[in-house]
Amino acid sequence: MKKRGISRRGVLKGSLMASVIGGTGSFFGPWKENRVWAQGAAKPIKLGLTCDASGQYGNSGQDDMRGILMAIDEVNAKGGVMGRKITWITADTETTPATGSRVAERFITREDCTILLGAIHSGVANAITQVASKYGVIYMNTNSSAPSEAGENCSRVKFVWDGNGTNFSKASVKNAVDSIGKNWMLLTNDYVWGHTTSASTKGLVESSGGKIVDNLLVPQNTRDFTAYLLKIQQAKPDVVATAIGGDDIKALREQVAQLKLDGKPAWINNQQDWPDVWGSPDSLFGVFGTTWYHKLQLPGVAEFVKKWQATNKEGGIPVPGNVSYNGYMATRELLKAIERAGSTNNVKIIKELENLKVPATDRMQHFDAYMDPVTHQMQQTIYLARRNAKPVDKTDLFDIISWTEPKAAEDTAAAAKCKLVPYEQVPTVDS
Amino acid sequence: MTITPPPSSDATRLVTPAMLVLWLVLATVPLWIAKVGLYPYLGIEILIWSLYALAFNLVLGTAGLPSFGHGAYFGIGAYAFGLCQFNVVANLWVCLVAAFAVAGLAGALVALFISHRRGIYYAFMTIAFGQIFWTLAIKSHGITGGEDGLLKIARLPADFGVASFNLNDNVAFYYFVLVLFALAVMAMWRLTHSPYGRVVAAIKQSETRAAHLGYNVWIYKASIFTLSAAISGLAGGLFAMAQLAAFPDVMSLHQSGYVVMMTLVGGGLVSFWGPVVGVFVFLIARDVIGALTNAWMLYFGLLFIAIVLFRPEGIAGAVSAAFQKHSLIRRQGNSAMRLLFGGERWR
Amino acid sequence: MFDLLPHLLNGLTLGLLFALIALGFMLIVGLMEQINLAHGSLFALGAYFAMQLMGSRPPFPAELVKVWFAMPLGWRYAATLVIAPAAVGLVGIAIEFCMRRTYGKDPLYGLLLTFGAAMVIEETIRLVWGTRDYVLQVPQAVSGGFLFGDLIWSTYRFYAAGISVAIIGVVWLVIEKTSFGATVKAGAHDSEIVRALGINLTRLRLLVFVLGTVLAAIAGIIVAPIWGIRPHMGVDAVIPAFLVIVLGGVGSFWGAVVAGLLVGLCVGLSGAYASEWSLLSMYILLVAVVTFRARGLWGKKSVLEA
Repeated sequence: MKKRGISRRGVLKGSLMASVIGGTGSFFGPWKENRVWAQGAAKPIKLGLTCDASGQYGNSGQDDMRGILMAIDEVNAKGGVMGRKITWITADTETTPATGSRVAERFITREDCTILLGAIHSGVANAITQVASKYGVIYMNTNSSAPSEAGENCSRVKFVWDGNGTNFSKASVKNAVDSIGKNWMLLTNDYVWGHTTSASTKGLVESSGGKIVDNLLVPQNTRDFTAYLLKIQQAKPDVVATAIGGDDIKALREQVAQLKLDGKPAWINNQQDWPDVWGSPDSLFGVFGTTWYHKLQLPGVAEFVKKWQATNKEGGIPVPGNVSYNGYMATRELLKAIERAGSTNNVKIIKELENLKVPATDRMQHFDAYMDPVTHQMQQTIYLARRNAKPVDKTDLFDIISWTEPKAAEDTAAAAKCKLVPYEQVPTVDS
Repeated sequence: MTITPPPSSDATRLVTPAMLVLWLVLATVPLWIAKVGLYPYLGIEILIWSLYALAFNLVLGTAGLPSFGHGAYFGIGAYAFGLCQFNVVANLWVCLVAAFAVAGLAGALVALFISHRRGIYYAFMTIAFGQIFWTLAIKSHGITGGEDGLLKIARLPADFGVASFNLNDNVAFYYFVLVLFALAVMAMWRLTHSPYGRVVAAIKQSETRAAHLGYNVWIYKASIFTLSAAISGLAGGLFAMAQLAAFPDVMSLHQSGYVVMMTLVGGGLVSFWGPVVGVFVFLIARDVIGALTNAWMLYFGLLFIAIVLFRPEGIAGAVSAAFQKHSLIRRQGNSAMRLLFGGERWR
Repeated sequence: MFDLLPHLLNGLTLGLLFALIALGFMLIVGLMEQINLAHGSLFALGAYFAMQLMGSRPPFPAELVKVWFAMPLGWRYAATLVIAPAAVGLVGIAIEFCMRRTYGKDPLYGLLLTFGAAMVIEETIRLVWGTRDYVLQVPQAVSGGFLFGDLIWSTYRFYAAGISVAIIGVVWLVIEKTSFGATVKAGAHDSEIVRALGINLTRLRLLVFVLGTVLAAIAGIIVAPIWGIRPHMGVDAVIPAFLVIVLGGVGSFWGAVVAGLLVGLCVGLSGAYASEWSLLSMYILLVAVVTFRARGLWGKKSVLEA
């Protein structure tokens, strides 16, 4: 990212000079912008990238952006969309909702962005969604995976690209009850994401004939899990299902690995984001979910990884993971939808995206994927993985053990919670 | 500060020349903010944080009480505004009063526990309560929405009976916040220059001496803290309107630390206007430095260290000192700088 | 009752870790009457330095690297426990030099200065090592788990608790039983007397501050294998450290140790029986104690409550 940053700043300085010389005296504010349009060309389409660069999800936010930029570069190399180039601008949303609101306001009101992309943290994503829906600006929620994103907090202008906790529970629970055991214990981070994820696990365990022996609520920012690990050993469940997020899961992983508690009981974890896994590969444990892996034996995957690597030599993460993949897919499908709609009118693009169907080969997943028009969540293949005992290289950390088709992993309760406003109530946006 | 205050009648005024100048300048902001590359929403945020920082400074600057968990009251105000709108009545005035009152109540509750404490013990008690409120906000997601936030908060129309103003537009809302800001500034100015304010300032000088003079130190400490919490809550209510949502993050220790930094960088310990100066510098510097590097906290940290080491009285203090040196020679001066920084010594 | 025992034991080991984390903070507060908010960042820096030394690319010249890797892991670890804190001590010297300007002023300024230093150190960590997290390698002898009472226990945890006891003991001996300790304590109470005795107060303060810094770094290295190493770990440490000092009372050595144990027990037991309140429990404990006792458990009169 560093290299890009410098060149962008170069562009910025250049245009600052130009404007000073030109006598407009315009002050160039705090943003990073990429102008690629030549004189006389059609007006470009401008995207605002709301990616965290600092705070808890700074690492993931930047990985998200790598995928988004790759899709933009591909489209620009082919001449853009409808003959119009794609330009973009980004600013750090700091993993802070207040900053997300401000950045979104700036991108829309000051920078004339007509579409926003990028999210990891659900609070930040919601803050951006609030602003975007006020102005009718389309927002691609690339990586925030709270079930509420496509449930009670859904929006006509927002599209959700990641699988959520319910999807992963559906893919894993029934199988595990049948094959491992009926006594389950839940380890739940005491905040919304943890509670909703554990609630769906609980429902599935019980409907599959298992039972929950205990649910331990873990406060956010817990660094020491010994008390919980002792409690688990005393209760002796067959399976422990965790809904622990952020830095907490990393600490838990390390402590479980140290005690070698990762054999019995069996551990079922929710989605593990690649940027987090890459940080501490030694402590991967149990079964966990993902939407994509860079060594899937599918056509196109190897080429995609090579292409990604060619533009992302710096940044510390050597291969694309699920976060970068989601960013890429969301952006690519958005730009295709604009092309198909033949217009940048927001409602026309929304309608295109609502009818989106992506064949498995284009998705680089095992099954065809489709956008749910009622909840605006991408329904896609859900993978379960465990730590790879025989890696072929140092990035080969996952052993993919199953893939579940979208229908089987669908969050069926979401549709009832999601109320989208009618098209007429969406303010018109065009560029 | 050792500089003797110049004779000034500002302390007795309801509206000082400095206020008028500031308000006039702020009133023109929407006319030119886009031309300098900024946007109205940033103006709104600066005003709200200024109000919050001024309220915070009642505790830190006026009373000399180290409160490091003030974000809690700002956040409680934001939630109170949203919850009032959803569950009580969708009326702007009622909900703003609710934000003020609920945050004040929380402040009063905390004041009960901490007002007989001093220094480091006082400071950490405020941190502990801040952490408790913050955790509760995340935990009680049935009420607050937890980390997802309390969403879909509306900017209710400002209804004056004869006329009603829609505040959905950022410029309209900016002016609304400006009016409230102006009223709150007048109130706080009067308060700090009232007999009550002077007792509070005396407690800052020496709690023991104030107690010997027969003042009930506990009552003064508790009341100023409560009032500060209430006004912070009002600012929080406005922030919920600006953001259309309320989130627990503003209540974290981190964010509480920001308001302390803004107040001190600006010079809140020596000047009434210090917190406002600090908010302007902090929010704009964050944007400008943030343009060049993602590590803006590094540079801001260095700036902060430099200020503590070389200008511990903050920017307003430094400007005021520089100006007073200047005016001792010139023996005159009616410039805006004097009005803003030098005109009113308030201690 | 047998169910309770493991949790009591866990609470005690956790408490010793809290006491260790607070130790350096306590020295600086107790002997210099300064609140060092950079304590957590120095704690983190210790962990990062140790990780760098124990990792595959230690920051040495090429010949030395060979010698370094020729040593067994245990030796390298022991050497790291000395080298990394010493390096952090240098950072401590730099901070103390800046802090001199604030001596004699409102203690608020020292607190603010170190707050700024904490910001700078944390951001520097992000720039140098990135936002990812790291794991600190430890010798085989102290890693893994052992079986006791049908439960698997972390060996490292008991090793860490043992080290904590040892370090707390050594620091107590240095303060209470050496002439250095006597001078330092006198300096804290009455700098006039110390000056009159011809003792260099400037040097004394520097020594105390560096000692506090080194202890922060050691705590960081000891705690790192349990918490993991990431930029935010400094903030995770400084708040409990601050809490332990306030709970124990400023200027009381045993107050801090007992407070550390109490916090550990409180967090450990609530973790087992009311898990969702485990982190809040320490704040509630503090509020409960300080509401009734003006200076924590055994605090002494201090300028920090002016």
